[in-house]
Amino acid sequence: MDARERLNQLKEKFGHAIVRADQPNDSRLYVYVEPSVLKAVCRYVFRDLDARYVISIGADDRQFSGNFLVFHDFAFDKDKILCSIITPASPDNPKVDCISDIVPAASWAEREISDMFGIEPVGHPYLKRLILPDGWPDGLHPLRKDMDWNHVPKEYDETREFKFGETPAGCTVVPFGPFHPTLDEPAHFRLYVEGEVVRGCEYRGFMVHRGIEKLAETVLSYNDIPMMAERICGICGCVHSVAYVQAVEAGAAIKAPPRAEYMRSIMLEIERLHSHLLWVGLACHLVGFDTLFMQSWRIREPIMWMAEKITGNRKTYGLCLVGGVRWDITPELRTELRALLDKLEAEWQPVVAAVVKDKNIMKRTRDVGVADKKQCKEMGLVGPVARAAGVDIDCRRDHPYAAYDRVDFDVITHDTSDVWGRVVVRAKEVFESIKIIRQCLDKMEPGPLMLEIDGELPVGRIGISSVEAPRGESHHFVITGENNKPRRWRVRAPTYQNLQGVPGMIKDQMIADMTISLGSIDPCFSCTDRLETIDLKSGVTKVWSQDELFKMVRARIK
Amino acid sequence: MSVMSKLKESMVCLTAWRVTLPYPVQAQPVPANFRGRPIFDANKCIGCAGCANNCPAREILVYDVCQEVRIVKYLGRRCTYCGRCADVCPEKAIKMSHEYENGTNAVTDISQKLDIFMSTCQRCGRCFKGSQVLDALKMKGYRFDDLQNDRWVFHSQAYLEGEPTVDDIKIELEG
Amino acid sequence: MDTNLLTMILGGLANVIVVLLVAPFFQGILRKVTARIQSRQGPPIRQPYYDLFKLLGKEDIESGVSPVMQRFATYLSLATILTVGCLVPMGFKAPMNGAGDAILLVYLLTLSGICMLLAGLAAGSTYSLVGISREMMAMLTLEPLFAITIVIGALHTQSFRIDTVFSGAVYQAAGLPVSGIIMLGVMLLSFQAFVQRVPFDMTEAETEIMEGPLMEYSGPKLAIFKYAQMAKLVVFSALFIGLFVPWGSDLIFPFGWILFWVKVFILVLMVTVLAATHARYRIDQAIRYFAALLAVGFVALILASNGF
Repeated sequence: MDARERLNQLKEKFGHAIVRADQPNDSRLYVYVEPSVLKAVCRYVFRDLDARYVISIGADDRQFSGNFLVFHDFAFDKDKILCSIITPASPDNPKVDCISDIVPAASWAEREISDMFGIEPVGHPYLKRLILPDGWPDGLHPLRKDMDWNHVPKEYDETREFKFGETPAGCTVVPFGPFHPTLDEPAHFRLYVEGEVVRGCEYRGFMVHRGIEKLAETVLSYNDIPMMAERICGICGCVHSVAYVQAVEAGAAIKAPPRAEYMRSIMLEIERLHSHLLWVGLACHLVGFDTLFMQSWRIREPIMWMAEKITGNRKTYGLCLVGGVRWDITPELRTELRALLDKLEAEWQPVVAAVVKDKNIMKRTRDVGVADKKQCKEMGLVGPVARAAGVDIDCRRDHPYAAYDRVDFDVITHDTSDVWGRVVVRAKEVFESIKIIRQCLDKMEPGPLMLEIDGELPVGRIGISSVEAPRGESHHFVITGENNKPRRWRVRAPTYQNLQGVPGMIKDQMIADMTISLGSIDPCFSCTDRLETIDLKSGVTKVWSQDELFKMVRARIK
Repeated sequence: MSVMSKLKESMVCLTAWRVTLPYPVQAQPVPANFRGRPIFDANKCIGCAGCANNCPAREILVYDVCQEVRIVKYLGRRCTYCGRCADVCPEKAIKMSHEYENGTNAVTDISQKLDIFMSTCQRCGRCFKGSQVLDALKMKGYRFDDLQNDRWVFHSQAYLEGEPTVDDIKIELEG
Repeated sequence: MDTNLLTMILGGLANVIVVLLVAPFFQGILRKVTARIQSRQGPPIRQPYYDLFKLLGKEDIESGVSPVMQRFATYLSLATILTVGCLVPMGFKAPMNGAGDAILLVYLLTLSGICMLLAGLAAGSTYSLVGISREMMAMLTLEPLFAITIVIGALHTQSFRIDTVFSGAVYQAAGLPVSGIIMLGVMLLSFQAFVQRVPFDMTEAETEIMEGPLMEYSGPKLAIFKYAQMAKLVVFSALFIGLFVPWGSDLIFPFGWILFWVKVFILVLMVTVLAATHARYRIDQAIRYFAALLAVGFVALILASNGF
């Protein structure tokens, strides 16, 4: 079914409640609905039409249409459609019906909309602060246009605490993070354990929220943002910059030249190679197998050197601009890249063959961190986590972008839904990436790298783009704007959804498996935390503020 | 069999015996288009401020002392070595060098200040056209970035008209 | 009597000093070989000496629930291992032969395990408590294996004296020493656990519970614990060699002595290669493994008591 047919389905069911529909092409659909039917439409799309939930986005459109806007993005993967259900919220006391009771995966997104815009999702089962720090004053919402990007509120309350839920009966609390050798970036998981078995978990993160979406709307401009976007993540930065420029290009209805598209695909696959090799090594380190950790990273190193030769930097490629790319592959580099891929394949094959039969690793990873198909659907899990459960989704095939519609590759799935499945999926995807890069190198034709753009980009257009990061689907949403900058930019990294699935994965597992379960979603997040202590005897919990921590540490050291 | 897997895994080390590089005893060479610290050549610079307008980190400041003299100052604190300045410069006055050992405890070691004598356009005072429309949209006319405090100032037009300027890096906490 | 006492004391001291000098060297070898298996350069073999000096020179911070108990646990752990070192033959006859018998040895080894439990309890943080609960479970299933070996040796030779047990007593059955061979296999399979290396180092799993019982230890206390762990490697190797591969130890000095250290070196290499090529087991998987070995050990014990 294409976008028109899906639209007709919606129209049949909801008739006049659909105020407006935009269909820029066969694979994009923007449906404006009345607030009263929002929940019914989302339920129909998510349950009856079996679409996949992507993200919910808020926008402050009061200057232009007079309202706030709330977008719910869904994906029809089999039909290759990305669609957005849009509804307005009134400018004073904005409220929308929450969809988290029908779509559990929307839980965080709606909390974020509530924090950032003050749009209340009515009926949300767990409406606590997500992004804003606990001491942030009420009523001040950062992404509203009337708040300045560098405003520091005077009423910040340092002593206010986050209210965690009740500890279940019979459990003690083990705080996991913020300082833990497993986590590269701190986060706080509050584990409720009974002996060695985890019975429940609460998560508090987002403490180093950098506010890039606000910066993009105010301080930066279209071509500055890709440089910042690639610093969203230290491993999949190229993905974010490509997804952003593709979203802008979609909104402005421009297309990058073919050679630029091939370059983007090649660099994306190079990034996937290095990310998967890194992850396999990391997973082995988490289960205490340091030898494979060192060897995977040794095999991975030539990829970093190659990226440095092509783009000038090992990781922050600085690749994309709106309308094209900045770097090219010369014929010498092409030969070198081909030789590198051959060597990589030859070295990686024996490692994979050895790992696949290794009972020692299998024992630590089988039936650990299980997320089955149902959980993947409910929590919107993406990437190797979903593919290891047998869910056949991959943005490169389902929502083709860059040069992926011109190359052949397989989507690797597995059926065990556990950490072992994710190891196998990632190890085998390395070979698919090598295949794709080889095809791109063969098919690339000489040509311009950059589009000549005449005039300003059109204003007020919506563009969305889904790119397959090594961790899953990275989804960017842009509303083009005045003054050479977007009106709204929303980044949804794949870990945003996958983290919501972690409490389900670690329930009834042992503490020792917590780290490898968390590591298996390949988390990519940046946050930090305050320190929480739980007195095991009295059950009293206390959150220490910075001053108290300093005093305590200084008093102890005599 | 698990024993065979383990043997194979330990034999992997035989393909590459010892790969540790002797850095920093021996400096590691970098590829040709490696993006290190940018070096500004005052002789080639025409004072167009294209680099300043296109720096995503707003680390290049521009100040007009008078009609003929413009100061271009590269601060280098938040520089991400993205190379946009070098791409945009119409005179190729900026080169991304191969220097990557840039650690220092005095930021003045990295900052570069160029005093440029501007020749003026007969009609409007001075002109610069960006190569891309998206870049040209960042023209700002006369520039009055805050060199005293190393701060980027937006909307120099607003400065002339007396509007309150927007602060950058330094955020003053009141109270 | 006086000269006897003097030789005993000097012999004991000699053993202790040798163990103290040599333990970091074997640790260094372990780290170097591990590094080469991982295709990297690795630290120089002298590195553990440098590490110990550095730690000993640091400030002794008092953290944890009970600092007095922490200090006590630290010193006790090194002391017990060194005492075992005095009792065990290392290339020549056990110096303090008359001072104790094999039962004392078993108790001392258990005591050194208990030091780890004390250490974790004294620290009192959540992760150290999790660590010592794992250690307790492991000890319950692991220590008996060693005791069974000693008992089998004693059954064969009808004596608990250390010099008889540790000269291959397990093999001295009538005819084919079935129980001896079974116990050799069992001890080889569990040696890794006695010296607390991967795959059986779950008590101090760095990536899971942040060093476990040793979490609140830093500076000199940590140095002594690390020293005790290094010494454990050497002493346990000596025990293993004394029990199962004693041949050649009665050659005249220095050949017997050199042969002994060559055997220790080979054993350390075996530990290294196993540690480098395995992932860490979870506590429940490890306990199942030990329990199976224990069952086999009991079978050997029954065989031994019937003369096999």
